[in-house]
Amino acid sequence: MKNFLQKIKFDQWKAWIYLLPAVVLLLIFTVWPIFNTLRMAFWNGYGLFKELGGELTFEFGIKNFKWVVGYGGFITCLKNTMLLTVLTVPISTILALVIAVCLNAIKPFQRFLQTIFFLPYVTNSIAIGMVFEAMFNIVGFGTTMPSYGIINNILGVFGMDPVNWINAGSSYWANIAVLTVYIVWNALPFKILILLGGLQSVNKQYYDAAKIDSTPRLRVFTKITVPLLSPMIAYVVITGFIGGFKEYSSIVGIFGDDMQAVGGESLNTMVGYIYKQLGANHEGDASAAALILFAIIFVVTMINMYVSKKKTHY
Amino acid sequence: MADKLMSTMHEKDMQKVTAMQKVTKILVQFLLYAFLIVMALIIVFPFYWMIISSLKNTAEYRLPVPTLFPQEIMWGNYLEAFTAANLGKLFMNTVYVGIVSTILSLVVTVLSAFAFARLEFKGKNALFAALLATMMIPGELFTITNYVTVTKFGWLDSYTVLIVPFLVSVFYIYLLRQNFLQIPNELYLAAKVDGTTDLKYLWKVMIPLSLPNLISITILKMMGAWNSYVWPRLVTSTDDYRLITNGLRDAFTDMSGQANIPVQMAAVTVVSIPLFLVFIFLRKYIMKGVSRSGIKG
Amino acid sequence: MKIVLQNLTKVFPSRNKKSNEEVVAVSDLTFTIPDGKLVGLLGPSGCGKSTTLYMISGLQKPTGGQIFFGEDDVTSLSPENRGVGLVFQNYALYPHMTVKQNILFPLQNLKGADKLDKNTMLERALEAARLVQIDNLMDRKPSELSGGQQQRVAIARALVKMPRVLLLDEPLSNLDARLRLQTREEIRRIQRETGITTIFVTHDQEEAMSISDVIVVMKLGVVQQIGKPQTVYDNPVNLFVAKFLGTPPVNVFKANVKGGKLYINGEAVLDVPGVADRDVFAAIRPEGFIPDENGAMTCELSSIEVMGRDVSIVSKNEAMLTPTIRSIVDADYKVSATAQNVKFNLKPHKVFIFDSQTEERIYFGDQTAPETGI
Repeated sequence: MKNFLQKIKFDQWKAWIYLLPAVVLLLIFTVWPIFNTLRMAFWNGYGLFKELGGELTFEFGIKNFKWVVGYGGFITCLKNTMLLTVLTVPISTILALVIAVCLNAIKPFQRFLQTIFFLPYVTNSIAIGMVFEAMFNIVGFGTTMPSYGIINNILGVFGMDPVNWINAGSSYWANIAVLTVYIVWNALPFKILILLGGLQSVNKQYYDAAKIDSTPRLRVFTKITVPLLSPMIAYVVITGFIGGFKEYSSIVGIFGDDMQAVGGESLNTMVGYIYKQLGANHEGDASAAALILFAIIFVVTMINMYVSKKKTHY
Repeated sequence: MADKLMSTMHEKDMQKVTAMQKVTKILVQFLLYAFLIVMALIIVFPFYWMIISSLKNTAEYRLPVPTLFPQEIMWGNYLEAFTAANLGKLFMNTVYVGIVSTILSLVVTVLSAFAFARLEFKGKNALFAALLATMMIPGELFTITNYVTVTKFGWLDSYTVLIVPFLVSVFYIYLLRQNFLQIPNELYLAAKVDGTTDLKYLWKVMIPLSLPNLISITILKMMGAWNSYVWPRLVTSTDDYRLITNGLRDAFTDMSGQANIPVQMAAVTVVSIPLFLVFIFLRKYIMKGVSRSGIKG
Repeated sequence: MKIVLQNLTKVFPSRNKKSNEEVVAVSDLTFTIPDGKLVGLLGPSGCGKSTTLYMISGLQKPTGGQIFFGEDDVTSLSPENRGVGLVFQNYALYPHMTVKQNILFPLQNLKGADKLDKNTMLERALEAARLVQIDNLMDRKPSELSGGQQQRVAIARALVKMPRVLLLDEPLSNLDARLRLQTREEIRRIQRETGITTIFVTHDQEEAMSISDVIVVMKLGVVQQIGKPQTVYDNPVNLFVAKFLGTPPVNVFKANVKGGKLYINGEAVLDVPGVADRDVFAAIRPEGFIPDENGAMTCELSSIEVMGRDVSIVSKNEAMLTPTIRSIVDADYKVSATAQNVKFNLKPHKVFIFDSQTEERIYFGDQTAPETGI
């Protein structure tokens, strides 16, 4: 009996040895930050005090939140983030769905095309952002005739006048359009992968049954494919929203760290705002903004899950 | 009820329907391929543009009507990119950080996943649930405090600061634990009866059986190091420790006025090619890992 | 509408890319299914019966041969244009639709002369639901139904557009024994009521025998025999058909013919005039034995199972090729359970003799040789 108890004790002890590295690292870099972020966010003027080297007196309050929401340019960032999310999630989801359905309907070259469509996933978003910048960029104002960039040239073939997409003096909506194209391009591979995987796991008999019943193609798509795929669609929409609210590096890729092409921070996103505050040693404000971001993501995810639960009940 | 039977077709209709059927089938296939090929071209165009732009000279690049293939191939752009962005050093930094953090991360992940999957201890389920809960919190929330912490530790500008803070991924532990759980417990008990130690069992049975997942984790972790931008930018300030993505953006945004875009594209190509190579050879593992994780890098 | 299959052949390319071996699923199938009949395609798994069904539906294209619906050659017609109803083995009910939506679905696709207005559709759906007695489940989802109920919904969905042909793929295989009996009677009833030419596939001979007007016995892609169930049972053309039909199964013996007499285990058990001397297989139906103290055939008694009306005598014999000899006799015959041996006389029309090489029937007694086609 004594032996047995010793054995149990030893097992307990052993498990914690295995877990030790993970637990120590998680305590320092995950658990502590959760508490500390709360502490900093509700500690009025946290960053400022530290910067001045003054004695820290704890004053609990929501001053940081007030400052972030009131004066910090945060609302602009929030608006940009929302706009990009609302634009890119539906566009990329629908496009990915159509591509996945088409891919699923062909036989020769299916694997090859599938690989091509996955390519944007294995890229560095800063690096390819720079490529998009180059494609939309207008170069050579100084020379006899400006080069409007490849995109403007391609659009010219279809009779469109050149647009100042991202250069100095470009409009907000032109910038947003470029960002939307890039983010959608970047978001497609993951969505196609998930949706195609879903399509391939749908029982083929449903399609056979539909064929026997002479169902037109479009009706098969809307009445059978989409409903059967709805759990996957819900999944890519939810992850799409979460990713959309955390958008940052694609903007840095095209416009640079300081969003210099358009000046100021009129294109910044919420994550960008957090880093900006952090860079300026305003940890309190950064924490407050991060908590707001978390709250928004949490609420949006809950809404998404609620809606998808109502729509995907089978 | 027999009077309502579906109408039958006549000989003539039938020939028409058969012909129509063939035409529709061909037309649909044609449209499918046409759509997919156009979309595929749009997808690959940026890569194409990246490569051909990297081989043009500045004058050709600035032609009002861009050429679709360089008239004169400028390999020199690549040499210039390496010196301008200090790519060589940054490349080595990234490889070093990637390899070390992957190895350490695998060790930590395997040990914890084993503890959660096979060992019994008090509070196991509560601890695991708490870990899963942290997955919901956006990473930016951790970054703020971690920045403060590593500053206090005096880790700024070091390899340590790039490797240690994000070594543990709850998601990888979760993924591997699920994999370990699928391995029948009888194997473990049999090994215990034979007097095999836990570590030996882990090494001889569990790891070989979950190799595909470990490979997926390795690739995703390496890609993460290769693509990380925000954290290294925050905690490093010299080229001794910066990673490749930082050098990329910063080296060329410093230039004022008309940037030398072909050289810039050469640098971008250099950064992108290792990723493509990894993708071509390990596509299966990447796609499997990604479809499970839903995270980038 | 009658269905004619002419030299129908289906060859699947080999799954293994390296070898060029092809799999012949159905080989040179020719037969006619009369209008308004219930036909059972019967055979062990891998005999090509499902492939045949799917070729009739259009979901699989034949490699060779033709299919006629009535006078029309439908071989190259896609399933959309064939106007058939198909009940899948796993039912394939759309999981996200209610029973009503599932049944309405085929009606909403009808075009041209068959197009219906909304009220007629609802009426027809309800009528089909009533026919299979699920009209009280219309708002349920398939996941909320039992296997038998799902089966009925699947039949209603296939029937509702009043197809010219109704096809059922192993319709009873997912049901438990009691439901099976009940459902097969219903399939029979529904087929009678609608008069739709119906073909169903099964590996269960009892199921096929009990409800079909005509059965088609297949083996390895080749039709063995076609006919009314009783005819095929009474008059099998080869050893395979004899063995495949009947429960308990037929008893098979190694035997030989010498001087117009059939010898089993060295005993002359039956006169077979006109058959040349040779080695044969003799198959005796369980009901073909008459216990008789002076009987011609001697077997070693193993056990006696009393089943009320009948008695099942289990015995052994050196020449038997089945694990035991099972004979079913009227309970009036008294056989001592303690006896060592039991002796039988045989009913000539329950004994079938097959060539030991080809396994084809070689002696028909007073029966005429059965036709293989109809």
